[in-house]
Amino acid sequence: MIRPRAPEAPSLPLGYLVSASLALVVAAVALPWLAPELAGHYYHPRVLALAHMVTLGWITLTIMGASYQLIPILLERPVASERVARWQLPCFVVGVVGVVGHFAIAEWRGFVWSAGLLTLAALAHVANAGASVFWTSTAHGRQLFPGTGARSSFTARMIGLALVGLALTALFGTLLGADRIWRFLPGALFPTLHAHVQLALLGWVLPMVIGVAARVYPMFLLAPEPAGAGARVQLIGIAAGVPALVIGLLVDARPAIVIGSALVAAAVLTHLGSVLAMARSGKRPRLDWPLRFVLAGSLALVPATALGLALATDLVGGPRMALAYGVLALGGWASLTIVGMLLKIVPFLVWSRVYGPRAGREPVPTLAQLSWASGEAIAFVLLIVGLAALAAAVAAGDVVAIRAAATLVTLGVLVFAATLARVLHHLVRYPLRGATAAPLSRAS
Amino acid sequence: MTTGGPDLAAAPTAAAITEALRAVLDPELGLSVVELGLVYGIRIEGGTVRITMTLTAPGCPLGDVMTQWARAAVGRVPGVEDVDVALTFDPPWTPDRMVNGR
Repeated sequence: MIRPRAPEAPSLPLGYLVSASLALVVAAVALPWLAPELAGHYYHPRVLALAHMVTLGWITLTIMGASYQLIPILLERPVASERVARWQLPCFVVGVVGVVGHFAIAEWRGFVWSAGLLTLAALAHVANAGASVFWTSTAHGRQLFPGTGARSSFTARMIGLALVGLALTALFGTLLGADRIWRFLPGALFPTLHAHVQLALLGWVLPMVIGVAARVYPMFLLAPEPAGAGARVQLIGIAAGVPALVIGLLVDARPAIVIGSALVAAAVLTHLGSVLAMARSGKRPRLDWPLRFVLAGSLALVPATALGLALATDLVGGPRMALAYGVLALGGWASLTIVGMLLKIVPFLVWSRVYGPRAGREPVPTLAQLSWASGEAIAFVLLIVGLAALAAAVAAGDVVAIRAAATLVTLGVLVFAATLARVLHHLVRYPLRGATAAPLSRAS
Repeated sequence: MTTGGPDLAAAPTAAAITEALRAVLDPELGLSVVELGLVYGIRIEGGTVRITMTLTAPGCPLGDVMTQWARAAVGRVPGVEDVDVALTFDPPWTPDRMVNGR
């Protein structure tokens, strides 16, 4: 029996992924120029602009695009509405430009409409992707698509949690912006801000990455899917830990912050353990550079989690350490993981569009032959050295060291962008000319 | 060559079909569908070859590409007149099915 699949439209996820990569390039080019600001307090208009270019423009846009590629595979359900997904992209991009731009000039009224537009696009994504989760998780959905989705419950639940996190984060962020004008939110500014940050990172990005990893990493590594008690630790750790941490920050309840952080740390370390187990037991002949990016990103969870716990328990404190935590979590873990996934997904999409219809009719390259391994290797070294140095330099507050480390990161991102551009070039260089028209009723 | 009856000398063999399927590669892994253990069955009925195969994941967007590729590769085997490729996900593929693991 052939299972239901999404319409083959590689241009849909590609639009998101290319937009996200451009956002990363813009953020990376700005990084060295912002060295003086990064040596100070994170609550600076241009640092906030940079952070949102990374979190919204790069990370969130990539996850949205990858979702539209991966949901049919991960959840064995089609995307609910391709039309919504197409409209969502320009709305979100305009929203990101508005949010980042108004952060940079500290203009809050403009920020509010931009954040409102962005939130609408985010809610459209929540509804669209959430429908696939609903179809996977409910009896009604199983009636619509009988016999599918039986193995997807952990991934579906994690994606469901992540979508709730995305909706709450976007609404929370818009309220924070509106509060700069009308001053209606109770509580102090910084704990509220920290709650927003942790909700975005641990409530949206973390469960999405963990849920996707549970099904995608085994495919790439040729390893068994994780199962058993580890999955429960991750689900409970996030479902209970994130609300405890966020509410604890909002109401200044230290026990809730500590317990929530410990639960999330347990989920993170269990996830890391399962990734390492997959890497050890995988039957893939050799690890390519994209998978090395993914594994390096996973390993960055160790220092990020350690610093996060230290901040939660007041072992360390202050804006510099908070910024270093941001570099390790957003740059080290999330970005390295996403770079690795993009170096897998984009060649796959291009191959499917350009060479898929030609397979069997003429010699076609493999995905590895489509990619630029040397460029991936250079980007790997530059980004890992640069991000590690940037976290240390930010913690030390040294402008010269920050600028030097940031320059390495910028170069790494530019090389990464060049590797993607080389892959995308196949769309232009070898366009499809009617290859799909001839049916292969009998090969000869 | 004889005339007026089936040409038994030219009938395709399972070995020849398997060899032809070694040209069908998973583009991401660079391994053939045979090495990956994606071919569940080969049935030869005269000049008609029926192949049952799977994919590494249900919902994989390469379903059409892989079946067309397999059909084309097997169609080039001498004696093959028609190729039928059916996808199945029962039983689901696992890495244990790989022929040449690490």
